[in-house]
Amino acid sequence: MSISRRDLLKGAVVAGAATAVIGEAEAREEVPDRPDAVGMLFDATLCVGCRACQTACKKANDLPTDTVDANGGVYDAPADLNGTTKNVIKAVVDDGKNVYMKQQCMHCVDPSCVSVCMMGALHKEGEGKRDCRTDQGGEVKGTGIVLYDKGLCVGCRYCQIGCAFNVPKFEWTKALPRIVKCELCRHRADPKKTGPLAVANPACCEVCPRGAVIYGKRADLLAQAKQRIAADSKRYNPHIYGETEGGGTQVMYLAPPALTFKQLGLPELPEESSAHFSETMSHRPYLHGLTPIALYAAMAFVINRNKKAEEAGHGEEGK
Amino acid sequence: MDNLGSQVIAVQETDKGVSRRDFIKVCSAAAAAVGMPAWAGEKMAETVGKKKPSVVWLHFQECTGCTESLLRTSHPDAGTLILDLVSVDYHETLFAAAGKQIEEALEDAKKAGGYVLVVEGAIPRKEDGIYCIVGGKKATDSLVECAERAAAVICIGSCASWGGVPSAKPNPTDAVGAPEILKAKGIKKPIVTLPGCPANPYNLLGTVLQFATFGTLPKLDDLGRPTFAYGRVIHEDCPRRPHFDNGRFAQAYGDEGHRNGWCLYKLGCKGPQTHANCSLLSFCEVPGAWPIGIGHPCIGCTEQGIVFNVPINQNLPIDKPTAPMAYPAVNPEHGVVAASPVAVGLGSAIVGALAGAGFVASKKLSAADSEKGQKE
Amino acid sequence: MSAHDHPQAIGGKVLDPLMTTLLAIFAVAAAVMVYRFFAGIGPVSNMTDGFTWGIWEPVNVVVFTGIGAGAYGVGLLCYLLNKGKYHGLVRPAVLVGAISYTLGASSIVVALGRYWNAYWLPWVPYWNLGSALLEVAVCVLSYVLVLWVEVLPSVFDGAAASASPSWAAWGKKWGARLAAAMPFIIALAILLPTMHQSSLGGLMLIAGPKIHPLWHTGLLPTLFLISCLSMGYGAVVVLVNILNLTWNAKQDDKLFADMSKVNAGLLFLYVALRLVNIVLNGKLRFFQADFPTFLFLFEMALFLAPAFMFLTVKGSGQRGKLFGAALLAIAAGAFYRVDTYLTMYRPVGWTAEGKPFSAGWDYFPSLGETIVTVGMAAVGIAVFIFISRKFPVVVVGDRAHSNLSGGQTAAGR
Repeated sequence: MSISRRDLLKGAVVAGAATAVIGEAEAREEVPDRPDAVGMLFDATLCVGCRACQTACKKANDLPTDTVDANGGVYDAPADLNGTTKNVIKAVVDDGKNVYMKQQCMHCVDPSCVSVCMMGALHKEGEGKRDCRTDQGGEVKGTGIVLYDKGLCVGCRYCQIGCAFNVPKFEWTKALPRIVKCELCRHRADPKKTGPLAVANPACCEVCPRGAVIYGKRADLLAQAKQRIAADSKRYNPHIYGETEGGGTQVMYLAPPALTFKQLGLPELPEESSAHFSETMSHRPYLHGLTPIALYAAMAFVINRNKKAEEAGHGEEGK
Repeated sequence: MDNLGSQVIAVQETDKGVSRRDFIKVCSAAAAAVGMPAWAGEKMAETVGKKKPSVVWLHFQECTGCTESLLRTSHPDAGTLILDLVSVDYHETLFAAAGKQIEEALEDAKKAGGYVLVVEGAIPRKEDGIYCIVGGKKATDSLVECAERAAAVICIGSCASWGGVPSAKPNPTDAVGAPEILKAKGIKKPIVTLPGCPANPYNLLGTVLQFATFGTLPKLDDLGRPTFAYGRVIHEDCPRRPHFDNGRFAQAYGDEGHRNGWCLYKLGCKGPQTHANCSLLSFCEVPGAWPIGIGHPCIGCTEQGIVFNVPINQNLPIDKPTAPMAYPAVNPEHGVVAASPVAVGLGSAIVGALAGAGFVASKKLSAADSEKGQKE
Repeated sequence: MSAHDHPQAIGGKVLDPLMTTLLAIFAVAAAVMVYRFFAGIGPVSNMTDGFTWGIWEPVNVVVFTGIGAGAYGVGLLCYLLNKGKYHGLVRPAVLVGAISYTLGASSIVVALGRYWNAYWLPWVPYWNLGSALLEVAVCVLSYVLVLWVEVLPSVFDGAAASASPSWAAWGKKWGARLAAAMPFIIALAILLPTMHQSSLGGLMLIAGPKIHPLWHTGLLPTLFLISCLSMGYGAVVVLVNILNLTWNAKQDDKLFADMSKVNAGLLFLYVALRLVNIVLNGKLRFFQADFPTFLFLFEMALFLAPAFMFLTVKGSGQRGKLFGAALLAIAAGAFYRVDTYLTMYRPVGWTAEGKPFSAGWDYFPSLGETIVTVGMAAVGIAVFIFISRKFPVVVVGDRAHSNLSGGQTAAGR
């Protein structure tokens, strides 16, 4: 073996010590639920699949109609979220009847997309790198709405990989493509109003004839959801999806008892957000940047010493 | 009083100077108006010409709206109906007679039997039914007696069909529809219910004229409603349906959407669960003379569980989504990426080429080595 | 046959048939890339919202840079662990590294949807430090620069050896200055890949539910780091053997055998770590009669076969076996990467039993994507050939100059 046993041992000791130190490094902090967080509550037992929310979303966001092709068996409406659709209604057949599912950005409490976005193009309102809503009264910190700043986005599409709900979509056929997703109609907010409508006004909630999807502060919506379950427990699956899943989401779901949320298309997630897991794992070795610096210093020193030793050796040996 | 029903049409014709041809025209028009085939007009003229069917019309807890509604028909008009097509042998609203004379007419009709009994209004059962007494007779008794001698029973209007307004909570008189009374008394006659508030008079005309012509009743559903009129819900035939399908709802009375005639679902329209044909068969031949037509959400006046029960501004789920409501699945197919044969071929060729080249190079090196080994 | 032979420019006709073919392939790829910039990524590829990175990320970026990790691996052995005998391998390894990293970076530009916003990357205040991809991007771009700086000694030596006196003086002067700064550059050249090669594994940490449980683990960064070194060492062996076959490059089989023992150690370490991790996390139940299990076993075979072959290869006379094993080592790392990023990735994830949820998404690389990947590889080879012909990179005979003491001869170790 070309590496001596001694070298190997040295290396092992160092590695072992390093691991011990690294293991003690603090995990990345938990992201708290912001007190002013706003969101939506979708009650699948109320939705009748009229899809007014789909139309209203298109209108409110100036999105074109989808090209007609027989995707997923639907010819006159989008079959899924895509580069021109930020909100879509899907159906699950349960015992001969349809149960409807509204799909759009979940505005997670600790979003994976925000965690992975290199330049913070996707960011929680007011917590990004810069204000991307200057023309709409500026960003308001604390709402927790996940906004998209196309000026910083490089189109790497890592957000699509990271999002457990597969929400961000990409404009594949454009030369100047963007990432497209629901932004809670932040642009429809009326700063003159009080309450949550001052920061956002989702068109889907406004138009829904059944009140199946409603808008408000996350804390209020959570309380409302709990109230509904308590008032009519036979009507609901006792779990509120989004309360804790993946660190919690600001858009929450109620479902009828016969269906699981997985059947509605919502993934089963642990309480720890993916962002927390990934960042903790990735950051552990770095020790807040100490490790690279220390490593660099050590290596530069060693290499330099090796070079000097070699030059000295050459000098002795002559030309 | 002469029983008009006993008169033969031919005599009447000569008396009144109505030609047979005109009479057939009248019957054809009536037949067409209620959706019977063209040849039915002649059959009707033939049948009715022989003997006009007898109709006995009872009023109980009602507003007389259904009768009024009948009076406003024009194809056939009420006059033609009661003078030429049927023999109305008892009708409290339409008869000039009153008191002892009209009650005698009823007794005569009952004695003859075989009439079509039309019931309008609910029947109270509280305290032995004393809350509706007509001509000294309780409604329940009157109904039962007449029904026993009838060929068929037609309940016109929601009140007669299932109780209607009088039966709204708290239902102080314990009002119920005629079918319930008859069932309790074990009277087995064909019963047709024509709910509505008021019922569309053409539903009545269609039923009565079919019976008059062919002696049969239309196909009924499990609530006794003719399926030709009550087989579909308003939502399926609503003229505002395109607005629903496109998510255009009136948000408030008088707003832009309301003024533009958009869907009234958000304002509480019960159309999705209300079986009726109001959008297909105009009341009084005035198109648009129905609630949704004038901009008020349907209140579900034919349905027992809905009208006078569910608040007008509260909407209901849509039981059977109908076309064009097609929905994608939770994970819909996105069009299988047809891995073009060329792409697959190229990809495989490259992988193969790399592996092959590696193998060849390895062999070459071994060969070179063994050569060298031989040399040394 | 000392390890300190002198590298020299190969010379010869640049535009020979091989070169012409490579450039022709690249021309086709370039045409596809131009079209991509006008028509969007969708029309030239089969990438969709479900499989959003296609093969351009896993292959063009992750696999190519894995192959280029030879610079990292050899640098580690030669300069940090002070095994001077590997000096002769440094230049070709560094050149391959520089080229493959440049290919990776260029491919990224083609793969990025809003590439023009990449100018923000150096702007530190806007950095999202939580993003592993940022770390990769910044590190890789810096490392590309460092690698080309590491190529400069060849350039300066070439200039120094030229007939023109001004070039020669220039080459000697800057060669000496660079040599003085080299330790600090090399330290960077070891630090940066340690960071980004592990982060390339870390990229997939966040996609947890979407990666098959046998592939997704907190150890991803470590496993990627170890396997990149394997790929790199394998690539160096393969490269020099090919150079030997084509240009009669000098090669020291004993050296390769020694280096391959290191590689064997890494390969065994990888397998051990991976298996232990699977056992400790209770994932043994995912071994079933299905495709992922087959793929896993295939990967393990790809890692273990070269490991055993490296252990048993003799110091000379078994070049074929060594070459084959080195190829397998590259293949092992490549398969591992493509599997983690693509083959074992499902947009809607995997069930608790390890079956993929049906998601309605499908993917196979399109013609356009394949052409771009092949074209990038082709142009990389073309650049290598060109630089090797013009500058002293490959050892064909004479004594070597060590990179550390640029311009002066060094005795063997």
